[in-house]
Amino acid sequence: MAAFLSGISIVCFAASYAVALACEASRLAFRSGVRGAAMVAFAAAGLFAHTLFLFWRAVDGGAAPLSSPFDWYLLAAWLLAAGYLWLTIANPRTPVGLFLLPIVLGLVGAATLASREPFLHDAASLFWGRIHGGLHLIWSVSVVLGAIAGLMWLIQAGRLTRKEAPVRGFRMPSLERLASITARTPMVAAWAAAAGFASGIVLNAVNRGRGLMETVPWTDPVVLRMAAVVAWLVIAARIAAAARSRPDGGRTTARLALVSLAVLAASIAWGVLGTTRHGKPVTAAAVAAPTAFEESP
Amino acid sequence: MTLALVGGTHRTVPLALRERLAFSAEQAAEALARFRDCFPGREGVLLSTCNRVEFYAAGENGIDAPPPEQLVSFLADCRGIDAAALGPLLAREHDDAVVRHLFGVAAGLDSMVLGEPQILAQVKQAWAIAQDSRTSGPLTAGLFQAALRTAKRVTSETALGRERVSIPSVAVADFASGVFERFDDKRVLLVGAGKMAAETLRYLREAGARDVVIVNRTAARADDLAARVDARPAAFDRLERELTSADLVVSTTGASDHVVPLDLFVRVEAQRQGRPLVVLDLAVPRDFDPRIGERPGVWLYCVDDLAAACEANRKSRQRELPRALAIVDEEARRFMGDMHHRTTAPVIEQLRAGWTETGEAELDRLFRRLPHLAEADRGEIRQAFDRYAAKMLHPPLASLRSESHSGPPHGLLDALKRLFNLQD
Repeated sequence: MAAFLSGISIVCFAASYAVALACEASRLAFRSGVRGAAMVAFAAAGLFAHTLFLFWRAVDGGAAPLSSPFDWYLLAAWLLAAGYLWLTIANPRTPVGLFLLPIVLGLVGAATLASREPFLHDAASLFWGRIHGGLHLIWSVSVVLGAIAGLMWLIQAGRLTRKEAPVRGFRMPSLERLASITARTPMVAAWAAAAGFASGIVLNAVNRGRGLMETVPWTDPVVLRMAAVVAWLVIAARIAAAARSRPDGGRTTARLALVSLAVLAASIAWGVLGTTRHGKPVTAAAVAAPTAFEESP
Repeated sequence: MTLALVGGTHRTVPLALRERLAFSAEQAAEALARFRDCFPGREGVLLSTCNRVEFYAAGENGIDAPPPEQLVSFLADCRGIDAAALGPLLAREHDDAVVRHLFGVAAGLDSMVLGEPQILAQVKQAWAIAQDSRTSGPLTAGLFQAALRTAKRVTSETALGRERVSIPSVAVADFASGVFERFDDKRVLLVGAGKMAAETLRYLREAGARDVVIVNRTAARADDLAARVDARPAAFDRLERELTSADLVVSTTGASDHVVPLDLFVRVEAQRQGRPLVVLDLAVPRDFDPRIGERPGVWLYCVDDLAAACEANRKSRQRELPRALAIVDEEARRFMGDMHHRTTAPVIEQLRAGWTETGEAELDRLFRRLPHLAEADRGEIRQAFDRYAAKMLHPPLASLRSESHSGPPHGLLDALKRLFNLQD
């Protein structure tokens, strides 16, 4: 059993998701009676392998979910893949995978580039670290879901504006349903991001007090970018709330959701490629500077 | 086994004559009862819709289906029409052409609107009436069951019936449903009380619409339609107020100028608090100023917009036609193969009986000579004989089945009869 579990690699579930995505894309080319079952089967197989991979990392490597940037990306991808599977079973005619699966694969790809080095923590920092990582997971997933709904809204609105019949195999949800998603997700994302920022400050203070991790100064790039992200999400949530009573509110919130996704993508790219003292073990060079917080990738 | 078909459709029979030829359900039952008396031993099914009247007849076991001319006279007599006038307008088909035709009809391939699904229910009903009238037998039962199976295959394996092709259905399913997720919490406003409004409302009701208001210049017509469709009538001078609270407007008046000009809508828009509005302007000339469609949050569709979508859907259905015809062809060949194989049943029965009889006689002789055999051993020997007989019979029976796919296997049947000395 252990040999089987240890043999599961990222390639296993990434390949399953890629095949499910190819099945989704084939909706535009031809009709098939078995495609729906194939999509669900490959997505379920991928999710199963993904689950076993995370489970084995937790059991064998002691790498609990959210314990490293690598695990954070994989858990975010797992949540979105589970959401895809659920949505596909509930609405088999909606090509949600065309929008969701590329992001799942992108997160898996980001995981392969991210550090697998676990954050160091004792019991206190473990508690705050999980809250901190979990809140960042919530705002990131909210932004992704909002952006996908926003993109679908713009595609659907474009078709309705051009007065075209729906493309076969590419039937979008109604504007009403999509607008309800794009209107809610900015608020969830803003609250979760702000709370994540605050929990990072607490975590940093805990770590600093115990000398467990290198403290993160306020001028650290991660702190600055997260401050910018939180500011943007709060502004986006306010604009989205104000736009609800305007006739073109749906379009405004859809575009805001896409901008938020771009902000998230830039933030992830910066986190993967940039240098920071965020989440690093304590070293002799640790600087007793004004500190900020420990944060997810 | 023979099959015959006589019938006329919207393509061959003028509407005036089609109206006289049409049968209600009761009239169809009476006609079938008469058929039973006129053509004893034959099977018959009468399919009568607003676009076609077709009589399917069948006979087997040496009794052929009635000749087409007799069926034409029969139909003409039933409806009191001159057979000489009706005859040239009706099509006549035989055997496998009948099968292909019925399968195509059930799948909606011969309908005025390609792929329309209502015909399937009408075919089912025609068969049910024949069953009740005791004119349906094994042949027509097999034929109509296969037709229903074919129609289901065409529906599930092609996109023939997926896209809507009528303006009201496209307006609701492809456009209004693209904006709204549900209709049970929306207010529908009908401006005008014409036939198109009622037809569109039917699709909206199916989609869940409950709150419907009808505004019409002639209050009596609004009241009449409201009573028929369970809606609330409103005076025409309340149009502006009703527009303010409406989510979806279906406009079908016969007005010569815009009923809702831009300035009126701008006043309404200010009070709508940003709620989206879908307008299905099905009137010609248009009831809504086209510039209203450029306002944010307004989705305005006129007849030409919807007709273009209908045409695109029709073309999409046409593209599916070859696949649907291939299914019809495959099912028709399978059915005819099965039917031809049925004709071999008496010969197969005799062949089996002969082998069984011979085998039993040999077994009796063997068991008399070996009385010490235990019952279990006897059973084993009996089973071996049965297996041997089955294996020996398999090649000729398989050849018969194979030959049946390309027509009645008369040559093989004659050969078997002569080789095994079988009687007719």
